[in-house]
Amino acid sequence: MLRLPIFALGLIGLVMISVPGQARGQGVRESVEADVSTRSVSITSSFTGTEILIFGTVENSRQPSAEAGTYDVVVVVEGTPAPVMVRKKANVAGLWFNTRALRFASFPSYYAIASTRPVEEIAEHAVLDKNEIGFGHVRMVPAGGSRTTPRDPDDVKEFRDSVIRLKQRDRLYVTADYGVTFIGRSLFRSTIALPPNVPVGPLVTRVYLLKDGQLLSQYKSQVMLERAGLERFLHDRAYGSPLLYGLATVLLAGAAGLAAAFAFRRSIR
Amino acid sequence: MHVYLPIAEMSVNVLVYLALGSAIGFLSGMFGVGGGFLLTPLLIFLGIPPAVAVGTGAAHIVATSVSGAVTQYRRNNVDVKMGLVMLSGGIVGTFVGVEAVRLLRKAGLFDVAVSLSYVTFLGVIGALMMIESLNAWRRRGAGGAGTSRKSGGQHSWVDGLPLKMRFHRSKLYISAIPPAVIGMFVGFMAAIMGIGGGFVIIPAMIYLLRMSTAVVVGTSLFQIVFVAAFATILHAVQNKTVDVVLAGLLIVGGVLGAQFGAVSGEKLKGEQLRFLLASLVLIVAVRIAYDLVAVPGELFSFGGLPGGR
Repeated sequence: MLRLPIFALGLIGLVMISVPGQARGQGVRESVEADVSTRSVSITSSFTGTEILIFGTVENSRQPSAEAGTYDVVVVVEGTPAPVMVRKKANVAGLWFNTRALRFASFPSYYAIASTRPVEEIAEHAVLDKNEIGFGHVRMVPAGGSRTTPRDPDDVKEFRDSVIRLKQRDRLYVTADYGVTFIGRSLFRSTIALPPNVPVGPLVTRVYLLKDGQLLSQYKSQVMLERAGLERFLHDRAYGSPLLYGLATVLLAGAAGLAAAFAFRRSIR
Repeated sequence: MHVYLPIAEMSVNVLVYLALGSAIGFLSGMFGVGGGFLLTPLLIFLGIPPAVAVGTGAAHIVATSVSGAVTQYRRNNVDVKMGLVMLSGGIVGTFVGVEAVRLLRKAGLFDVAVSLSYVTFLGVIGALMMIESLNAWRRRGAGGAGTSRKSGGQHSWVDGLPLKMRFHRSKLYISAIPPAVIGMFVGFMAAIMGIGGGFVIIPAMIYLLRMSTAVVVGTSLFQIVFVAAFATILHAVQNKTVDVVLAGLLIVGGVLGAQFGAVSGEKLKGEQLRFLLASLVLIVAVRIAYDLVAVPGELFSFGGLPGGR
């Protein structure tokens, strides 16, 4: 008759062993904690671009040293997705015209990526696609269009590649293959330069921790990118009360012209 | 020293744009043109989005032409009545032009339309002006001074039109229709090309209306002031493409340059002035034509403005 209590004890014991065991397993599992040096960037009249620092630490790092390369960290800074229109020129009767256009419903306006090594080496396409890591893995949905809209997948790819190329030319899509460095066993850092032409809007910062091509943990935060001061005032007026803005510009121009004409009459004659 | 432009959404070097403004202002004062035909292409070349270059160029023209017009007015070189008649057509033309800009931008054809209009108008007018000024120069060199433009007493079709008006300052008694049509055409171009249209208006006034060169410059500047002001406001409202900071930079340089230009212009003879202007116009036309025909380095481009809808 002792069998049942023993069985029960055994069951309890099993549970007791397995529960802490699971807890210990989770405790060993690495995760990432990170932050950005600044949570808001103001665009004023003197804005010439800025640099943000993204730093973080790998919890429960089993990396023996900074150089070991046990973990891969990928830092992505993404601008507000916006629709984008791409046009392609073709030669018509000797002149170069925009003949075809494709509108993408959503496309990151800015995309900076830094990693411990080239992202294609870090993980499989499926992982990169799922997390939108890398230019080639960002979701870009072509919007419906007119009769000049290309439908052929190869064509769409050509337009998509051209967006990336144009954005790279404008330094709005930047990549730093070895831009994330480990300082010690668990601490890492990366600097991302925001160019002067960075599209205004909130930036999303994502940090991914990977090991052997598997995503272990990720972290997400926002950096506000806002117009401030005179810059904001003028932009708001131009879009909010354009008639007044136009009139004011004309008055300013006229006054400058008159001032010059009268100032010069005195000095010349 | 850099400043961030609120509408163009880019950081630019202040000194570059001040220098550009004063150079354009100098030419504007010298030739009595708004200088927009040089300014707009140069702004685009410097990386300003074409639509912003056009809208902001209009604001710059307001300043330089006010400055120039006041100087000319003091010398009694403005036919106000003629200017007003042209202006009435100009307002209509501007309105149509700004709407055309909106539609062309939507279709992605704005850049090429601007380039084509530039090549066409600059090419034709530059060539005509060049030929005429060379002929005048040769005549003067051959000693045949005093040849009047109205030689032969020929009557053009202009004389046969109704609605005749007397323009005292220009010493003309002609129909109001040609000046109004010229004004309308120029207003349209002001809107679409970001120019005051001086390089079209001046030859038209000289050759079609037969006004004297002295009055032509002042009168053209006078009406350009209003056409450009109207174009600026319309661009600001319809297209949101007027960058007040960029305009300010160009204007500060421009108004100073215009005064020096006006003084320099007085020292040159009419045909010399026209020859120089013609050369300038032709150079710009050839440069733009080259870009239209040459194989572009990049076939793809973004449509619309980064900050636009």
